[in-house]
Amino acid sequence: MSTKILVTVKEVAEVDDEFEISGLDIDDRYLEYDLNEWDDYAVEEAVQLSEAGDDVEVVTVTLGPERSEETIRMALAKGADRAVRVWDDALADAGLLDATTKADLLAAVVESEEPDLVLTGVQAADDSFGATGVALAERVGFEWAAVVNDLDYDADANVSSVRRELEGGVEELTDVEGPAVLTIQTGINEPRYASLRGIRQAQRKPLDVHALDDLGLDESVVDSPVDLTSMYEPESEGDAVVWEGSPDETADELATFLREQGVVEG
Amino acid sequence: MDFDLPNEHRMIRDTVREFCEAEIAPIAQEIEDEHRFPESVFEEFGQLDLMGVPAPEEHDGAGGDYLMYALVAEELGRVSGAIGLSYVAHTSLGLMPIVMFGTAEQKERWAEPLARGEAMGAWALTEPSSGSDASDMDTMARKEGDEYVIDGTKQFITNANVANSVLVKSVTDPDAGYGGISTFIVDPDDDGFEVVEVWDKMGLNASPTCEIKLDGVRVPEDRLLGDEGDGWTQTKKTLNGGRISIAALSTGLAQGAYEAAKGYATEREQFGRPIGKFDAVRDMVVDMDRKIERARLLTHKAATQYDAGEDVTRISSLAKLDASEIAREVAEDAVQVHGGYGYTTDFAPQRFYRDAKLMEIGEGTSEIQHLVVGRELGL
Ligand SMILES: Cc1cc2nc3c(=O)[nH]c(=O)nc-3n(C[C@H](O)[C@H](O)[C@H](O)COP(=O)(O)OP(=O)(O)OC[C@H]3O[C@@H](n4cnc5c(N)ncnc54)[C@H](O)[C@@H]3O)c2cc1C
Repeated sequence: MSTKILVTVKEVAEVDDEFEISGLDIDDRYLEYDLNEWDDYAVEEAVQLSEAGDDVEVVTVTLGPERSEETIRMALAKGADRAVRVWDDALADAGLLDATTKADLLAAVVESEEPDLVLTGVQAADDSFGATGVALAERVGFEWAAVVNDLDYDADANVSSVRRELEGGVEELTDVEGPAVLTIQTGINEPRYASLRGIRQAQRKPLDVHALDDLGLDESVVDSPVDLTSMYEPESEGDAVVWEGSPDETADELATFLREQGVVEG
Repeated sequence: MDFDLPNEHRMIRDTVREFCEAEIAPIAQEIEDEHRFPESVFEEFGQLDLMGVPAPEEHDGAGGDYLMYALVAEELGRVSGAIGLSYVAHTSLGLMPIVMFGTAEQKERWAEPLARGEAMGAWALTEPSSGSDASDMDTMARKEGDEYVIDGTKQFITNANVANSVLVKSVTDPDAGYGGISTFIVDPDDDGFEVVEVWDKMGLNASPTCEIKLDGVRVPEDRLLGDEGDGWTQTKKTLNGGRISIAALSTGLAQGAYEAAKGYATEREQFGRPIGKFDAVRDMVVDMDRKIERARLLTHKAATQYDAGEDVTRISSLAKLDASEIAREVAEDAVQVHGGYGYTTDFAPQRFYRDAKLMEIGEGTSEIQHLVVGRELGL
């Protein structure tokens, strides 16, 4: 029995400390691109499942321009087997893609790949919608669990026993029947560094590019009720206090501070 | 002429940089202060396939080229000269000669564990009374039956006390001059092998530098690397590759010092503005950038020509000579840019400064590089 895991991988923009806004975006000069942190954990989780099981294929899917191939290759270097990238002039022209649009696009890939399990990051570090994974599950009619920080996957039954992080430090243990979408929280594992051989092999792994047509979609998929209307830097208030030193010293300082501020008593 | 790195190389550089920033930078000063060789870092290098970058895949290396290897060495230098030095001594000096000159059995027995990162390599040429004039060595290997018996003392041997194999240069034929030198693979567990000193140094203290004594060390014939009398030709070839890695390491030291200085010049304010706004400070930082660009170009050119199979005697010497001077100059200026703080161990520039000085000494002093290049120029 073979298992296919689809992992959504986003290339996110990281902003320098100092930056300028130009129009509706941060000026490109101040941006660097990297694999979304949450997706790094999702890839690691999938790769660990493939290493533990037999005949597990890990496929990544990315909505992104050619530039994102470097990030995709990094996921391949860490152990994914092949990659799908979706891009199209219509997507390039659309600018901001909202969670529904992304779910529609990813759904088309899910329908053609028919994975047993879909892992997404909880959110993307740049847009931080935190909605794409669940929207995708809804769209393809899969079961889902959000903010998963522990996963025990039974490939034969296609059941995921997950621990979910809820608000206020509460956690939920639940079983999710596949095919399912799990949105993966940071900390679920320790993402590896790609090895040199992994990086070298990644250059030769398949990376297929699909346009909207190839997925049976048309340009209307990018129609969105969400418009980006302006971009500005909010006034920041408050100070950060940073203590340096050994954990013993800094813990003391923090405790004193919390008492003085009335956060804790005693 | 393409100055962009191939994708694969760029990804490898970025990954190594990420690893270095997360795992090495935070301990770089600590291991220096404690004079501690960080074994676990090298174990992790093994897992990342970094311990045999230029060794072929069939010998458990990563199958990369010298350009890739130079990029890795530069990244290590950018955070820790000591780790970088032990790394390049392992690779260029301890491992690659076995890959280049060894028999199939020697490669399997000695090179592959090194390339997998299960063992550390070392290389012993220098002696107490033979440094720059390296062929004038006293260590002797006598043939006795089907064994060789090695006697002598080797000085300043990087990694000797943590190594699983040491390539020892010895005289097998005292009358044959350069042609009388041979290389032996010595196991530190062999009887008669002793590390008699681990030196305290001006810098690079997390990289052990040892004096070793070989007192009647008996090795079987199959520990001879190549043929009897090949030792000196092997040495010259080994140092051609080695100089590229020292040049790369130097470029990394300079880069690390430059980044520290540039950051500090933007943050530190005096007379109401960032010190980088003063021409004198700006010019120091600009000159760092200028010099590093030069060091890196020369290093990459030497590595690229090495990979193309060209004779790199001149270019690798030039790269090593220039990059090591640049590392020292840039590190010194980085201390200056930091003012009093630069003189404290809380800031990295002093470490780069102390580490950089060795680059003008090891694997041939700057004076010897001038001699080598002069000879290449026909002077
Ligand atoms: C940290 C460290 C690590 C090392 N690692 C290794 C190692 O792993 N394996 C190994 O075999 N060796 C190693 N060495 C040894 C290193 O290669 C030698 O120290 C170096 O080659 C210089 O030799 P020397 O110290 O005997 O100096 P000397 O040769 O005595 O030189 C003294 C001075 O005289 C100058 N000089 C000498 N000859 C000439 C000449 N013909 N023209 C002009 N000037 C000249 C030199 O440039 C220098 O300034 C290491 C050294 C150090 C400090």
